[in-house]
Amino acid sequence: MDKVEYTEAERWLIEPKPGTAAARARDFGVDLSLTVNNLRLTPHERVKRLDEFQHEMKLLREAVRSAKQNGRDSARPKTVR
Amino acid sequence: MAEIAQGLKLFADFKVDCVVVGGVAAGARGSSHVTYDLDVCYSRNPANLARLAQALRSVNATLRGAPRDLPFRLDAETLARGLNFTFNTDIGSIDILGEVQGVGDYQECLQDSNVLELFDNSCRVLSLEKLIAAKRSAGRTKDLAAPPELEAILEHRRRSGTTE
Repeated sequence: MDKVEYTEAERWLIEPKPGTAAARARDFGVDLSLTVNNLRLTPHERVKRLDEFQHEMKLLREAVRSAKQNGRDSARPKTVR
Repeated sequence: MAEIAQGLKLFADFKVDCVVVGGVAAGARGSSHVTYDLDVCYSRNPANLARLAQALRSVNATLRGAPRDLPFRLDAETLARGLNFTFNTDIGSIDILGEVQGVGDYQECLQDSNVLELFDNSCRVLSLEKLIAAKRSAGRTKDLAAPPELEAILEHRRRSGTTE
């Protein structure tokens, strides 16, 4: 796997110094490597990625709903005529 | 085209004066948090309310979280009587805010925004500084997770001399 090269400014986020906002974010549990990835994109690319993720989540929710519905249908006793 | 893109296109097509705020704005500024709706702060100018109502009707907007039988007519008059509304629409969840807590109304959001080209639309997007103020002011648990990352981005931006 290729090693990710960070600029000095990115390293400020990845390896924050104590007392900085980045250190507080890291301590809060924010994965700043994801933030760095985002900051490498243009605003349009960032929103496009968010939009794609949102769309995939919607498809996933629909698939789960559909699977649950099918499960209920198959569990129902068949009507005998 | 997915939901955010369609929402931004909707407001552009109907020439709605609004500023993108909330999670989509935070995403545009670099946040890695995920959002499921599009929040905009809108101008309460009567002509804009009419365009906004028309835009929302075109995507069959219904009040989110309201009883199905609650009488609600989506027009400029109704929007003028309220302030913040949350909708389900054919193109996803859209929240329209007359006022953003910690920032102010449309004019104040406009002052602290800049134009970003998103999906071929020129969109006004709230500044990073004001997004932090809004999230801090809202004080909801889900909003408290956002400021630490946004503040780190702001710090990074100042340090690296970048604007976006």
